Amino acid sequence: MALSTHTTASGFLLPSIHSAPPFFTQQPNASTQSIVGEQWIRLILAYARHRNLFTLRIEDAETTGGDWDEILRNERIHRRLLPSHLSFLFSEMVSKNIAVYEPPKQTRSVLLYWRLPEEWAEVLHGWAISTAQLNTILTFYEITDPPIESPLTGIPVTILRRAITVLNKTGRAQIIGVADGEGVRFFAGT
Amino acid sequence: MGGNQSIPKVTPQDRAVLDLKLQRDKLKQYQKKLQVILDREHEIAKANLAANQKDRAVIALRRRKYQQGLLSKTDGQLEKLEQLVSTIEFSLIEVSVLHGLKKGNDVLKEIHKEMNIESVEKLLDESHEAQAYQREIDEMLSNHLTLDDEDAVQAELRELQAESLQKAETRQLNNLPSVPRTEPTDTVVDAETGEPEREHERIPVPA
Repeated sequence: MALSTHTTASGFLLPSIHSAPPFFTQQPNASTQSIVGEQWIRLILAYARHRNLFTLRIEDAETTGGDWDEILRNERIHRRLLPSHLSFLFSEMVSKNIAVYEPPKQTRSVLLYWRLPEEWAEVLHGWAISTAQLNTILTFYEITDPPIESPLTGIPVTILRRAITVLNKTGRAQIIGVADGEGVRFFAGT
Repeated sequence: MGGNQSIPKVTPQDRAVLDLKLQRDKLKQYQKKLQVILDREHEIAKANLAANQKDRAVIALRRRKYQQGLLSKTDGQLEKLEQLVSTIEFSLIEVSVLHGLKKGNDVLKEIHKEMNIESVEKLLDESHEAQAYQREIDEMLSNHLTLDDEDAVQAELRELQAESLQKAETRQLNNLPSVPRTEPTDTVVDAETGEPEREHERIPVPA
């Protein structure tokens, strides 16, 4: 069977390897598996970025109807990623620091870092500058759910908090806490 | 924190603004929730109607109406909150503008202190004096020159005049008409310039 790329309904271009049946099987040989795993991780992160997805659960591989169906299964070759394989990929991603278990202390769901907190920090700062919201006090809700869609729409508060911490260290953000919640203020920085 | 000076302190105003904004967010979330309820009640009414349970559908619609009222009320509250937030933010900007104006004024004052009217007048007077002095020097120098050389200049002038006079005289001598070689005819007028005058002088005498 010729391997070819495939464009999904959401407009994501699947690589040709996605049409190869062995790709979906966890390989017993460690070195082979490391290559397969690398491909999978790249695919997962690219798809997450494409769809603006942040969490991936084992559940997504167990059932259909989730956001991840387009890459976790390939109906054209009747293959799907097994939950055990996905679980293995999770541990791989967490060890590479491109994902964290969220909530922590379990292994069934991860928060994907298709942008690292440091990169998110830059995006956040750039957004604050471009919308002229420096020196203005912002609530987290205002950032994750702005009236006009921004690159930060839907960002999980966990990632947002980490990005703000990064900015805080370089003196470009300040966290303000009150009884009811938290807010942040951005500065131009040096 | 602490070491970085570029980060300003959190003032009570900041906290107040944040509080207001958090309240606003809560209202927004509440509105979202209401919207969900509205949609749900709508669905329930539709389902009841489809199941031919009219009174149940009416009840669902009534509840929907009530939630709608709540939604519009929260809209009003939201507006008030946002107004307050913008007013506060605007006032903060006004304060900073005032601060800026104050600073500018101080600088202007300082500059004026260095440049008070007395010193300007003094400076102008001084420059006037200096100009006058300069003019005096100019005059003195030019006077000095003429006084000394006036006689010489005058003498030179006279010499020049005399010279030119002399030249003119000699030219006139040279210009005298030559003696006619032919016998004079009756016609008096001659081409020579000097002759007609003499002719004119002569004519009145016999007349």
